Amino acid sequence: MAQRQNGLLAKPRRDIFVQASGNPAFLVGLVFTLIIFAAGLVSLLWTPFDVSLVTISERLKTPSSSHWFGTDHFGRDILSMLMVGARNSIAVAFVAVGIGVVLGVPLGCWAAANGGLVDSVLMRANDVVFAFPALLSAVMITANFGPGAINAIIAIGIFNIPVFARVARAGAMSIWPRDFILAARAAGKNQMQITNQHIMPNIMHLLIVQGTIQFSLGVLAEASLSYLGLGAQPPQPSWGRMLAEAQTMMAIGPHTAVFPGLAIVVTVLGLNLMGDGLRDVLDPKMGQRK
Amino acid sequence: MSLLSIRNLSLSFNNFTALDNVSFDIAAGEIVGVVGESGSGKTLIALAAIGLLPENADVSGNVLFDGENILGLHEASLCKLRGDDIGMVFQEPMTALNPVQSIGEQVAECFIFHKGMNKIEARNAAIAILDRVGLPVNQFPFERFPHELSGGQRQRVVIAIACSLKPRLLIADEPTTALDVVLQAQILDLLKEISKENGSGLMLISHDLAVVASMADKIVILQSGKIVETGPTKQVLNNMLQPYTRQLATASTYKPARAPKATGEVLLKIVNVTRDYALPRKSLFAKPGSFRAVDDVSFEINQGEMVGLVGRSGCGKSTLARMILALDRPTSGSIEISGININKANKEELCKARRNMQIVFQDPYGSFNPRKTVEWLVTEPLHLLDQKPSREEARNLAKNVMVSVGLTEDTLERYPHQFSGGQRQRLAIARALITQPKFIVADEPVSALDVSIRAQVLDVFAELNANLGLACLFITHDLHVARAITDRVLVMSQGKIVEQGKTTQLLDNPQSDAAKELVMAAPDLIKVLAS
Repeated sequence: MAQRQNGLLAKPRRDIFVQASGNPAFLVGLVFTLIIFAAGLVSLLWTPFDVSLVTISERLKTPSSSHWFGTDHFGRDILSMLMVGARNSIAVAFVAVGIGVVLGVPLGCWAAANGGLVDSVLMRANDVVFAFPALLSAVMITANFGPGAINAIIAIGIFNIPVFARVARAGAMSIWPRDFILAARAAGKNQMQITNQHIMPNIMHLLIVQGTIQFSLGVLAEASLSYLGLGAQPPQPSWGRMLAEAQTMMAIGPHTAVFPGLAIVVTVLGLNLMGDGLRDVLDPKMGQRK
Repeated sequence: MSLLSIRNLSLSFNNFTALDNVSFDIAAGEIVGVVGESGSGKTLIALAAIGLLPENADVSGNVLFDGENILGLHEASLCKLRGDDIGMVFQEPMTALNPVQSIGEQVAECFIFHKGMNKIEARNAAIAILDRVGLPVNQFPFERFPHELSGGQRQRVVIAIACSLKPRLLIADEPTTALDVVLQAQILDLLKEISKENGSGLMLISHDLAVVASMADKIVILQSGKIVETGPTKQVLNNMLQPYTRQLATASTYKPARAPKATGEVLLKIVNVTRDYALPRKSLFAKPGSFRAVDDVSFEINQGEMVGLVGRSGCGKSTLARMILALDRPTSGSIEISGININKANKEELCKARRNMQIVFQDPYGSFNPRKTVEWLVTEPLHLLDQKPSREEARNLAKNVMVSVGLTEDTLERYPHQFSGGQRQRLAIARALITQPKFIVADEPVSALDVSIRAQVLDVFAELNANLGLACLFITHDLHVARAITDRVLVMSQGKIVEQGKTTQLLDNPQSDAAKELVMAAPDLIKVLAS
């Protein structure tokens, strides 16, 4: 029995990716995610066309050998715009998750380590932030401080804080009562050292899974904000705005909406599948049920 | 004809042989004890007998219940058999009960499901059986939930469920391992009575030879999936024909040879220590009540002295241990180690005090962070030194302590999950020793171990005491262990030290009720065989 309980903890991290590679959901998710990431990276060095190049004569061209995904109503190459847009989406989501992790995880760990009043105050404050509909509040923030990628990042990031705080606190609380923490205290280690050396390595898997899922939500939130015109500003391409602009062209050039839509779907689906796959592998309770 | 007849049962998983040609019988009304160490296949026999073997097992042989081969039955007929004809009692009563259903409902369920009773009949039947197992309805209402009961009471509920339909065969898989000795004696008595009343066969699975010896008519001794010896209990244990049987018996009554090392110098001094825990408020304006876990405890431990702290579970032993290690603060009273009062000490003094005392826990699986290497874990307490040793020095220190607990030094690179339970307990001792403490608190350090490994770990403690003059507070509920390793014993009951004295004197001639109760309840292999 002791062994089974221990299964919750005892899984050296180096095995994770080996095990995950046997999980089909994880693999599909990984491929999708890698495609988008690669597109974003390549766009730093090269895109098929210049995204700010307006060629009215080439407008609303359907996909062809020169323009793989066709062109939009200004004659800009959609593939190039999607590639640059990927970079934008990934950057926003990445920084937003980063804000959530950097602020949320220490808060959660702090709450779990102290309990009592500190825990109550922190977690109720968390609940208050959590109670706001994230996207609506993001609209409020960007409307107030002006639209733009930076404000979008901050808005999405703030709402990641309580998510990570909760996950970290729940994970940490299950580790604190264990004997090895008592042993560390008997070795004179303080709260901070115990959190860094004993708690963090044991809740890392929870944070990785949550991070993947928050990343996909971040991409979605960024697309929604820029769809509303509150994200990255023109001429910088972004998936959400491409969709918004394509809306009026749906009848004459449906491809202008289909490809940005597909890009969002592939990214979100890929990250979610990857997160689900990782969770199955990392959480032995889910694994045993199979 | 026998009730359950296991014939040439072999079982393997991916070419690993878990059971090898096992055959034995259980007659109606007979108690058969199955004894073996962990991994010997005891539980697999139980699972085979109720048709719950894992699907990936390769099985051969027959398990005949009343002449019918269980291994060949379909799930539907098995379901009828389980509960109705075969009842099962598990080791861990908390996980065997559904936490969101009241105990009454869970017992009544069997009557509704198997006997087709209506709710009222089932309720009455459930009340009757709960009363039989010692949970009368006026004290333990039908609506109680499992978490509102103690471990022993929960195990009674599990037994009530298993016995509700008067099964012809009862299987008890380590039914008392999670309980203290007094509860263990009560539960074993209950199982014996019930099997006698119903005339049902009882398969009692245990790692503890003494438990089985006092209960079983027939004994089956199992070693790595093979039956080593089987026959009437007395005969087997008196003759000890097989070396493994002898080995088990000696290991469970093992006493390391040791001479008292205690000097007159006081190392640990505890004066009037009390610890209260606040209970949750009953209402918003009510004063929070409190529960006194440790009540006005005073005692001293000399240098080099091995002191046992015995008592039933929940008597405050572990709370006291935590306070001694300055992991918890007493509500009142003082604790001094080598002249430092740890409750008033500043950070440096506390560091110094901690260097002199370390802890070894009960559960060898939970006492290590699974993500760190052994070297990291064992050298962790070096954090307490004023001058942190270099990596090289720390490594050498680690090598030395590893050798002193009987592990090789090349194990430092490995992770805790690569060690067996006994080895991990040695690691825990190594970690406790690295700062060269004068005093170790060992909280049930051998309770989770097999008897043969228990003997080895006791040897380690005895050696350390002899060679290094290490003092030790040995917390245990097992009087054998207390006898084997301690010079002096403190008996604790409901937060108080009710009796103390030289180990053999006290245990041979207990004065207080609490001590008498413990001594009476402790299963004793030698006594059973003598009777």
